[in-house]
Amino acid sequence: MLKSLTVIQQGMPYILQGVVVNLMVVVFAMGVGFILGLPLAVGQVYGNRPTRKIIGIYIWFFRGIPLLVLLFLFYFGLFPWLGIDVSAFFAATLVLGLISSAYQSQIMRGAILSLPQGQMKAARAIGMSDTRAIISVILPQAMRLSIPGWTNEYAILLKDSAVTYALGVTELMSRAHHIASRTYQHLAIYLAAGFIFLILTYLGTRLFHALHKKLSIPGYTR
Amino acid sequence: MTQETSPILTAENITKRFGDQTILNNVSLAVNKGEIKVLIGPSGAGKSTFLQSLNFLVMPDTGTITLENREINPGDKRGLCDYRRQVGMIFQDFNLFDHLTALANVEIGMVRVLKMKKDPARERAMAELARVGLADQADKYPAQLSGGQKQRVSIARALAMDPKVMLLDEPTSALDPELIGEVQAVIRNLGSAGMTMIMATHQIGFARTLADEIIFMENGRVVEQGTPQALLAPGATTRTRDFCAKIAEIGGE
Repeated sequence: MLKSLTVIQQGMPYILQGVVVNLMVVVFAMGVGFILGLPLAVGQVYGNRPTRKIIGIYIWFFRGIPLLVLLFLFYFGLFPWLGIDVSAFFAATLVLGLISSAYQSQIMRGAILSLPQGQMKAARAIGMSDTRAIISVILPQAMRLSIPGWTNEYAILLKDSAVTYALGVTELMSRAHHIASRTYQHLAIYLAAGFIFLILTYLGTRLFHALHKKLSIPGYTR
Repeated sequence: MTQETSPILTAENITKRFGDQTILNNVSLAVNKGEIKVLIGPSGAGKSTFLQSLNFLVMPDTGTITLENREINPGDKRGLCDYRRQVGMIFQDFNLFDHLTALANVEIGMVRVLKMKKDPARERAMAELARVGLADQADKYPAQLSGGQKQRVSIARALAMDPKVMLLDEPTSALDPELIGEVQAVIRNLGSAGMTMIMATHQIGFARTLADEIIFMENGRVVEQGTPQALLAPGATTRTRDFCAKIAEIGGE
């Protein structure tokens, strides 16, 4: 028992360095997912039929294949085949970002569709173009409604970031595994790793709740 | 009251079908500057669809719409936006932008569409809010306003664009009875100030005192039209009078 505590105590700085990597993976993946997901969502709601079709295939692809398969496909398959040399971190972040864009697009699409149709009508009625109406009227409201969905997306990405260990990204899980296999304190080390993830999920959720509260529209309950 | 000028807004032979249902069947209408036309008729008559097709929120299948002798081509996106900003629209359920304060609701069209600078836009927005009696509610969000206040903000929002014509789609239908008066008063003031308006309403008393002409619609057609005096005169055997009598019976007035 004492041995376990000592191992955890000694290994903690090494493990915590991994946390930084996990958080970087999550932040970048969420960013990529948002930047790609937003046009996907808008295109799926307001685009013409071919646009919607193409977006549908994209989403079907990235939601339908397991994360681990996509990680291997990109890192060991696609990039070497293209002759591009990328780091495991880059490949992992990109793949998670692409997957997240598919999920985030659905969060935002749902939010856009949940707005009353009268919002778009009123915007058009004062002479706004559709693009202007989407930017000034639809998205500011849809983004607010998306925050609970993003909270969920954060939690999923955080946990998925542990899988990037399979590419050799030196994140929390890979470091925990490293220590465990050297000290044979598997139970203690993996408990500690799990506990760190729990705390990170909790903190992130709190952050999104705070954001949700800060951006909520006065008098508007939903 | 009709003036010897060419109409400011003309709709000719507007037809709209949804599936095999004809919602609007060759509806035509012309309104002169300063004129107030009121559409009445049973629910489903096509009043709302007609008003919305006047600014192409509903695309008519056939027919032409002309503003100041210029025919509008809804296929020309830029021209369409330009046309819409000259035609104010008031909706039954207000459709205020929920994420913006009353002031920002009025401001946004001037800033984003008319490309006005922030300060003059703010000044004008305040003036329009004052005009509808809501200067003290400028910083409230729609969810913090009563129905009557929301509708008045939406009127201010439309007025800020300097519309040549206002379309009002049952502006008081979604309001509590005690809030109807404040909105009617604002509309009445607009009329006195010479605003050209086309309004659908079920408030017959309001229509009678405000309208230059009443247009009675039923089943997607204009059935009757004429001055309130002619259509609603005691003893007149018009469909309009018949309809209004029925509404009065159930306490509508």
